[in-house]
Amino acid sequence: MFSWSTIVENLPYLLQATRFTLLVSGLGMGLGLVMGIVLCVARLSPIRWISRIAALYVSFFRGVPLLVQLLLAYYFLPSVGIDIPPLWAAVCSIGLCAAAYIAEILRGALIAVPHGQAEAAAALGMHPFTIWKRILIPQALKISMPSLVNELIMLVKVSSLVSAVGIVELTRMSQSISAATFRPLEIYIAAAAIYLVINLALAGLGQALEKRLDY
Amino acid sequence: MDIDLFVQYGPILLCGLLNTVLCWIVGAAGGVALGFVIAVAMYYGPRPLRYVLRGYIEVIRGTPFLIQLFILYYGGPNIGLRLDPVPAGILGLIIYGSPYYAEIFRAGLQAVPRGMIEAGRAMAMSEGTILRRITLPILMVSSVPPLTNFSIILTKETAILSIVTVPELLYQVQTMSAETFAYMEAMFALALFYWGFVEVISWAGRKLELKTNAFLSKELSA
Amino acid sequence: MTSENASSVEITALGKYYNSFHALKNINLSIPAGKVTCLIGPSGSGKSTLLRCINFLEEYQEGAVEIDGQVIGLESVGGRKMSARRLREMRRSIGMVFQQFNLWPHMTAQQNVAEALVQVQGLSKAEAARKAAAALQKVGLGDKTESFPNRLSGGQQQRVAIARAVAMEPKLMLFDEPTSALDPELVGEVLTVIKDLASEGMTMVIVTHEMGFAAHVADQVAFLEAGELVSCAPPAEIFRNPSDARIKAFLETYHARNQF
Repeated sequence: MFSWSTIVENLPYLLQATRFTLLVSGLGMGLGLVMGIVLCVARLSPIRWISRIAALYVSFFRGVPLLVQLLLAYYFLPSVGIDIPPLWAAVCSIGLCAAAYIAEILRGALIAVPHGQAEAAAALGMHPFTIWKRILIPQALKISMPSLVNELIMLVKVSSLVSAVGIVELTRMSQSISAATFRPLEIYIAAAAIYLVINLALAGLGQALEKRLDY
Repeated sequence: MDIDLFVQYGPILLCGLLNTVLCWIVGAAGGVALGFVIAVAMYYGPRPLRYVLRGYIEVIRGTPFLIQLFILYYGGPNIGLRLDPVPAGILGLIIYGSPYYAEIFRAGLQAVPRGMIEAGRAMAMSEGTILRRITLPILMVSSVPPLTNFSIILTKETAILSIVTVPELLYQVQTMSAETFAYMEAMFALALFYWGFVEVISWAGRKLELKTNAFLSKELSA
Repeated sequence: MTSENASSVEITALGKYYNSFHALKNINLSIPAGKVTCLIGPSGSGKSTLLRCINFLEEYQEGAVEIDGQVIGLESVGGRKMSARRLREMRRSIGMVFQQFNLWPHMTAQQNVAEALVQVQGLSKAEAARKAAAALQKVGLGDKTESFPNRLSGGQQQRVAIARAVAMEPKLMLFDEPTSALDPELVGEVLTVIKDLASEGMTMVIVTHEMGFAAHVADQVAFLEAGELVSCAPPAEIFRNPSDARIKAFLETYHARNQF
């Protein structure tokens, strides 16, 4: 029998843990954006070795399963004497990985920014740095808005993996409750529903944002 | 790193690798098949069915793969569905991948130019013949690159199966390092392995893509 | 060629709507067997829609198109839609050539031509291939049988499309702006092929913007505007001595544009 009462009784705990899911994915996205912009600029750098390194970074972080990246960070940091709370290690891992994807999203968007715009700015005597900061990156961010929202939804989903390194977010919490109540089906379905609601909300928000940004 | 380690753990690592590849190939093939059925049903099926399938796609795409696996593997017994880890993992991959594959096929179906189908109608072909001889081959040509792409992404998802105790590569490496305490080295080696694996597959995928068009066009019209 | 191998078309009180848009208004037109009828008029006048009603690629709501006395698409005038099987039977004797060629990109030129011969007429593959090669030879593409459409120029593609239609030995050929998608230097080769076909006595209906071609090849020219058939007359009358001010205006714009 499907036990609704199990869900109702444990919902408060699940929602509490959801805050950490949001925290990990939100901070991961923030870090990913900052790093992603840097990586993207590096990737497009005319200096060969800089763009090579950026390309290598992107290829590594997109090629290795995130779970392996998380475990690697989990074992690696203590072994070199870096002692930061697991939560921050997880956020960093997610952010570093997201950066690789975001860099590629932005690179794609930059290609879509008409070439004449940078030329127009240069003709006005703008410094290349200013052109990037004021003309190219804002436009690339705008063009790539749908993909960036998608990336955020992706991060909410993959944040479930940080449960594997012991962080008590939504997935980890549902594991504990399932073990205690012996009702895994109900609890995991409830967790899935929470993830779904978050992601549908984000998708809706993204669409609204896209409309507002439309000229 | 110790050579003896590899000699000692070689067999279980190889086993893990084989399980990874098995889950990936069966999971991807199953996902493609299920996705194709969903796409065709959405294209030709009645409206209520389309709504149901759209709901399925949104739900699967909106929830984490890990939670889907938990529902299947730990929640399944609650409704009498008891699966061993490997079948559960494969079924999980099939379900997880199906909506993405379905969307690829759906986009492909919509991209088949209307004129190609009209030409068939004007030549007095039946709708079945048009689907079989015209729509599907054109659909396949345009769908192969995104299909390969997503299948490559799916290789990485197989690592998640270790959490539900599927004895694939990551699981075996963790077992090994639990006994040897060489966590860091093992994980680093594994990361490099996956990296190489994905790069090689991507490279092969791109090669295949270049040849696909000519190949498919000959093959499918033969 | 006798008229047994050519169909006649009788269009009576034909009306066609796209939702509330009245695309064709009470069209009455006779297309005699073995003759060439050109449909001309400004874009959006409904000439392509009219053509597509003749093989029921477009469904019509009023009146009827009759081919050799048989209503196409409907069981009877104003009746229910005919079965898909009956419609296919009627379409077997109607060939069509499209503006965008609509060749199947995954098949070679020869396979494009042979496909319907096998799937619709039930010929053996060898027989179909032989017939396809002959049809391609006839449109001057005997050396391109193994080429895929994307390896052919627009003019060559359109000639393959014509061969594809002609190989089915239709009694009626429909051409929907066959040269409109072509670069100017490729128009001639396609028009030549169509002209040769016309001399064989097949019934042809051609939607075209090539007035010189229409004047030269047509037995009758029908002028449409805003969904109405304004006039249908021999080309000499339409082009030299148009009775209607709308035709005059259309031809003047046409000539003005072609002076450059």
